[in-house]
Amino acid sequence: MKSVLLAAGIAVAAVGTASAAEYTIGLSNGWVGSEWRTQMIEEAQAAAKAWADKGVTVNVVVQSSNVDVQGQIGNIRNFINQGVDAIIVNPNSPTAFDPIFAQAKAKNILVIATDAEVSSKDAIYVGIDQKDWAMKSADWLANTLGGKGNVVTINGVAGHPANQMRVEGYTEVFKKFPDIKVLNEANANWDQAQGQQTAQTLLATYPDINGIWVQDGMAAGTWRAIMAAGKQKSIVATGEIRKDFMDMWKKEGLTSGASVNPPGVMASALNVAVWKLQGKEFKDGIFGGVYGNAIYIPIPFVSNENLDEKLKEAEGKPGYWSVTDVVSIDDAAKFFK
Amino acid sequence: MTGLRKFGGRTWIVTAAALIVLLVVNTVLQKNFLEPSVVQSNLTTFLPLVLVAIGQTYVILGGDIDLSVGAIVALVNVVTVSVIAALGGDGTAVALGLLVGMAVGAGCGLLNGLIIAGLRFQPIVTTFATSIVFSGLALWVLPQAGMSVPEPYWRTYAGDILGLPTVYAIYVVAFLIAAFLAARPFMTRLKAAGGLRTAAYQTGLRLGALRVSAFVLSGLFAAFASLCLTGETASGDPLMGQSLAMTAISAVVLGGTALSGGVGGTLGSVLGAWVVGMIGSVIFFAGLPFEYQTLVQGLIILAALAGGVLVTRR
Repeated sequence: MKSVLLAAGIAVAAVGTASAAEYTIGLSNGWVGSEWRTQMIEEAQAAAKAWADKGVTVNVVVQSSNVDVQGQIGNIRNFINQGVDAIIVNPNSPTAFDPIFAQAKAKNILVIATDAEVSSKDAIYVGIDQKDWAMKSADWLANTLGGKGNVVTINGVAGHPANQMRVEGYTEVFKKFPDIKVLNEANANWDQAQGQQTAQTLLATYPDINGIWVQDGMAAGTWRAIMAAGKQKSIVATGEIRKDFMDMWKKEGLTSGASVNPPGVMASALNVAVWKLQGKEFKDGIFGGVYGNAIYIPIPFVSNENLDEKLKEAEGKPGYWSVTDVVSIDDAAKFFK
Repeated sequence: MTGLRKFGGRTWIVTAAALIVLLVVNTVLQKNFLEPSVVQSNLTTFLPLVLVAIGQTYVILGGDIDLSVGAIVALVNVVTVSVIAALGGDGTAVALGLLVGMAVGAGCGLLNGLIIAGLRFQPIVTTFATSIVFSGLALWVLPQAGMSVPEPYWRTYAGDILGLPTVYAIYVVAFLIAAFLAARPFMTRLKAAGGLRTAAYQTGLRLGALRVSAFVLSGLFAAFASLCLTGETASGDPLMGQSLAMTAISAVVLGGTALSGGVGGTLGSVLGAWVVGMIGSVIFFAGLPFEYQTLVQGLIILAALAGGVLVTRR
């Protein structure tokens, strides 16, 4: 009975704030191992401030630390107990949050996952399609190699859903090129140093490698291994989108291409959330993805053609800054009726 | 009071004091902290850590350490979920799944114990290695997160059992097991095995059996934690529980159990686990900038450890 009253109270409070156009949004990040995540939160905070121009006050509460699934469920519980209007989460598991998201929804809290898809029907996903992300760069690699050659891949964490979708993506692309031969698929846990070691081992094992498909920050390590082997002119490999890597890319004249997983995904999700909180309804048939709850946002691509342009955008930014892209407030409105 | 003392020494009083401070601070920061639904939600969040910490206490009291509990949690989770799904997901399937899960946990503990006490391997390195083996097995059983458990399972976990919230019922059962073991000669012998191994050996204690039992208990409690997590997440995830091992060890040490073995008890570990959990909650409601949350969390745990050391030294 008490919980019913409490839920009703929160619902009333939510309606009350809606008319005053002031919302509180909880941001939950369960891993702090990279600057990408820091940039993700900072861009979301900036996006929240930008709503002031539209006369909407958006307060954000951030919980960011290295937690396992249980810890992140605790974080989400804290948000629920605090009575936030919406929760945006970069989830540590695709499936484990179904019950807690159901609890949030029961209390009229909007839940949006970003960066990694979730199975819950009580949440939506706003972010990139990880499979498409991999297909874009695999396509670039295969075409740059002229459709033939020996390729190795260096992946993230086995069993991680984003990693799984990316593997599916490049596998599908390379299948279309009968003369592309995948010699080996290694895991280096999205760790730059491990990526470098793995690349060294692969280069030593297979002297006839033509192309390397590698994910995220591990590309920097991989390219260092390629240069140490003196093969930067004969091997093409995918790259990454951090400023210091793009500087090296330019300076060494590498042939590379990188799909952008923009840190702005959380800011994009926030813009969608604020429109939804204002009572807008989603357009019909807008949701797709494995779980039927995803809104996919565009994936930019950096290659030798537009490298200079991207470097100009990065001017004055720290070395760890990533190329980004945010679905603006106006673009986010296009998802709604 | 003597009953309580059997749970292990006086050092837990320090931990209890730290817990009270955190509770007071959190009540000030969060208006609805003492509402029954919020209390229950916090205790639900802390339960898996509490269970793993209780199990870890026996291993540490025996002078060993178990780094594999997080991987055991993952393995038990995926096995339980797979067994339930394979048997059709009805009531019998859930019951069998729970039993198989517990057997897997105990089996992992038995394996650790036999290698360490039987073959005389170093516990740190051995359990680190077996944790990789258990994680690998979990990935083999369920290559990526998915597979849901039947709704009655997680509804019961989030709901009531015999009029008592299920989570509280699990706390009560865990306390009863811990109290039962604390009152048995087993506990005294285990402490002797951990504290004064040579002397214990010379008095004719069966050290090997004691240490193996401790590892089996640790595996079993990890299985309990995993079944709770399964109730909470309603799904299988081979990467679950990764940070549990180190957090549980800090909870045990915070609770006054010496890493050198022989001194301490499960009550302190429960308090220690609550302290670790409450630190996270206080940091959230204090509204710290996100860049500092991890740092402050580490510093508070360090301060709590230092407090315990200073008081016990006197």
